[in-house]
Amino acid sequence: MYLNIDAQKEMTYDAIVVGSGVSGGWAAKELTEKGLRVLMLEKGRKLEHVTGYENAMKDPWQTKYNGRLTVEQKTSHPKLSRDYPYNEMSEKYWMNDSDSLYKEVKRFDWYRPNIVGGKSIMWGRQSYRLSDIDFEANLKDGIAIDWPIRYKDIAPWYSYVEKIAGISGEKLGLPQLPDSEFLPPMEMYCVEKEVRKRIEKEFPGRTMTIGRVANLTKPTQFMVDNGRAACQYRNKCALGCPFGAYFSTQSCTLPLAAKTGKLTLRPDSVVTNLIYDENRKKATGVRVVDAVTLEERIFNADIIFVCGSALGTTAVLLNSISNRFPNGFGNDSGELGHNLMDHHFRTGASGTWEGDADKYYFGRRANGIYVPRYRNIGNDKRDYLRGFGYQGGGSRASWQRNVAELSFGADFKEELTKPGPWSMGLGGFGETLPYHENRMYLDPKEKDKWGMPLVVFDAELKENEKKMRVDMANDAAEMLEKAGVKNVKSYDRGSWLGMAIHEMGTARMGRDPKTSVLNGNNQVHACKNVFVTDGACMVSASCVNPSLTYMALTARAVDFAMKEKKKGNL
Amino acid sequence: MNRRDALQHVALLFGSMISAPAMAGALGEKTYFGESVPVNAEQEAFLSELADVIIPTTSTPGAKAAGVEKFIVRVMRDCFPKEDQEKFYAGLTQLNTDSRTAFGKSFVELDASQKIQAVKSLTTSNKDFFLRVKELTVTGYFTSEIGATKAMEYLPIPGRFEGCVPLKPGQKAWAL
Repeated sequence: MYLNIDAQKEMTYDAIVVGSGVSGGWAAKELTEKGLRVLMLEKGRKLEHVTGYENAMKDPWQTKYNGRLTVEQKTSHPKLSRDYPYNEMSEKYWMNDSDSLYKEVKRFDWYRPNIVGGKSIMWGRQSYRLSDIDFEANLKDGIAIDWPIRYKDIAPWYSYVEKIAGISGEKLGLPQLPDSEFLPPMEMYCVEKEVRKRIEKEFPGRTMTIGRVANLTKPTQFMVDNGRAACQYRNKCALGCPFGAYFSTQSCTLPLAAKTGKLTLRPDSVVTNLIYDENRKKATGVRVVDAVTLEERIFNADIIFVCGSALGTTAVLLNSISNRFPNGFGNDSGELGHNLMDHHFRTGASGTWEGDADKYYFGRRANGIYVPRYRNIGNDKRDYLRGFGYQGGGSRASWQRNVAELSFGADFKEELTKPGPWSMGLGGFGETLPYHENRMYLDPKEKDKWGMPLVVFDAELKENEKKMRVDMANDAAEMLEKAGVKNVKSYDRGSWLGMAIHEMGTARMGRDPKTSVLNGNNQVHACKNVFVTDGACMVSASCVNPSLTYMALTARAVDFAMKEKKKGNL
Repeated sequence: MNRRDALQHVALLFGSMISAPAMAGALGEKTYFGESVPVNAEQEAFLSELADVIIPTTSTPGAKAAGVEKFIVRVMRDCFPKEDQEKFYAGLTQLNTDSRTAFGKSFVELDASQKIQAVKSLTTSNKDFFLRVKELTVTGYFTSEIGATKAMEYLPIPGRFEGCVPLKPGQKAWAL
C-alpha cells in the first residue's frame, strides 16, 4: 500500500479549530501559544487585517448610496435586509442569502458572516461579565438545568482575556455586573452625566454607566506591541478598524497565534462534520468542503475545538452522524439543537433634552451608555423571571434631523449646518429563557451547495419575555421622565429570535450527560477530545452581551484541555 | 476549477444548470435587470436647478455646485422600484407644466424668485414629490464633498473624544 507521508502530514495537526470568530480566534491563540500545531478552518473568505477593510476609510461622497440598499440587494437578500447590519458598506462581510439557505417554521433572523474573523469584525463590542446571579438563576428558578460553573470558576479567565483584548469601562462594584480589568472609560455627554445623577437620585439601586466596550481607550504596551493603536473615535468599527483599536480576531488573537509559527489558517473551508472513530472513541478529524472548488478533504487532529458560532457549530454536530451518535455528535441527551436563546430587544423609550444647547462634543464615540439590570434583584420581584439592561445614550442631532417639514432654501440650509437639539434614549436588552421546545434542527432532505443539510428554526419569544418587554418600555419612559427628559415616547418595535445576533444554548453545558451536551469545561461529555466554546455552550442567556464570556470560557477550556492532554486523557 | 465552473458543477450535482442571471448573481455580478426609468440630460439639469432651490449657495456652495443631481438620479434608479421612479419623474414633469402655466416658462428658465415661488407651490400641489426631492437633496448635499467639508465641519479622524465641551459661537455641526 502506498502512503503519501507528506500529504498525510499536511492533513494532520495537533489541534483543529473550526471557525475564526471570537471563540475560534481565542482557541487558536491559546492552543498555538501552548505549543500545538493548529489548523484553523473558516468557511468564509480571506479578510486581511487593515488592507481588507476596503470601506473603512471611505469618505461619504465615495459611497454610491450613502449606505442605502438597492432594490437588487433587497431582492437578493430578503432575510439579511430585514435589519440594519446589512447595508451598502458592510455587504461583503455577510453571506449571500442565496448561499445562506435556511428554513423558518417561525421567523428567525440568521446573520452569518462570510469572512475570516467572523462576527468579531462587525460585533457591537459591548463586553460584560456574567455574575453569580446569572450562574445560579436556573437552579433558583427551577428552569432548565443548573450551570456547571460559578462565577469564581470563570473570574480569573475573564481577567486573563480582558488584559489581552482590552475592555474600557468604569468600575461600579455591582454584584449583578462584576467589574472587568478596565482600560479608562470613555466620557459621557453632558446630558448623560445629568441623567445619570437624576436616575441615581430618583431610583435607589439603579445606575447608568458608560458602555463597557472592547475599544482601546489607552492601549497597554502589550497591545501596542501586538500592532494595535488607540481608538480614533471615527465610529466606523463595523467596517473593520485600520488602527486595530477594537478587539477582533484580526486585530488581536490572529497576530498572536501567527507569531508562534504554529498556526495554519485555511479560509473557504466549510466543515460539514466531525469524524468519529468507534474503536478509539474519539473524534479523529473533520471533513471539509472547499467553499469555492467544492473539493472534499479530511483533516485530522488529536483535539478539536468547534467554534463555528452557536448555530453553525450545532449544525455541524447535528450533521456528524455515526453508529455511536445516530442523533448528532455528543447528543446522548437529545438536547443538541434545543434551548435556543437570543436576547430580545428593540423596546425602550426616548425623548428630547432641552438643556445643554451651549454644549457639544469632539470625536465620535463608538459606544453608548449602559444601565445594569435592577429587576428581580434583591427585594425586587416582578411577574416574570430574570431581567434586562439598557443600552442607549444621548446624541445631538445634525443635518439628518427633520426641521420644519415644508421648509427649504437659504434659511433652511443655514439651520441644518448648526447642531440640532439633544435627545436621550434607552433601549432594553432582555434575557430569554432556555425553552426546550425552542430549537433548530436539520432538514432531512434539502442541502445547501456545500452539501450541508439546511437548518430549520422553530423558536419564539414566550410569555416571560413578553411580560418583561412591558417593563422594558415603561421603565425606560419612567426613568427618562424623572430625569427631566421631555417628550418621552416609549416604543416596542418587536423582536424576533436571531435579530440581536446573540445566539446561544443549542449545545449546553451541564453536570449530567443525560441533560447536557458539554461538561463544565466545555468538553463534549461523550467524546473527550472535542470542545465547544462558542454561544452554543450557554445554559442561560443572562441579559448582558455574551462575547466576553465566550473569550473567557475558550481560554479556560484550552487550559483544561492541555492539562488533560498531559495526563494522557484526550 | 474556477468559481464559475465550480458553481456549474454544484448545479449539475443538483441536476440542473444555473441560468445566466443566477450565475451572475452567485458570482457577485449585477443581476438586477429590472427596468429603470431612463433619465436624460435635460431632466438631470432640471433636478440640479430644483435641488439648488432647496439648498442654494449662501456663504457656502449649494446643491448644484455639489453635483447633488447625480446622487438623486443614482439613488432613484437603483434604490427605488420602478413605480416609485415613474411617480418621481412624473412629479418633475408636472412641476415644469405648472411652471409654464404660472410663469409661461419652463422651471430652469425662471428667475430666482420665481423658482422659489414654484417650489413653494410644489409643497402643496405635490407634497410627496417635494418631500422625496428634499430628502434626497439634503442627504446628497451633506454627504457630498462640498456639503460635508464646506457647509459642515468635517473631521474624518478625530483621534480623541470629549463628551462635554462648550459649543463655540458660530460653530458648525459635525458632518459625521
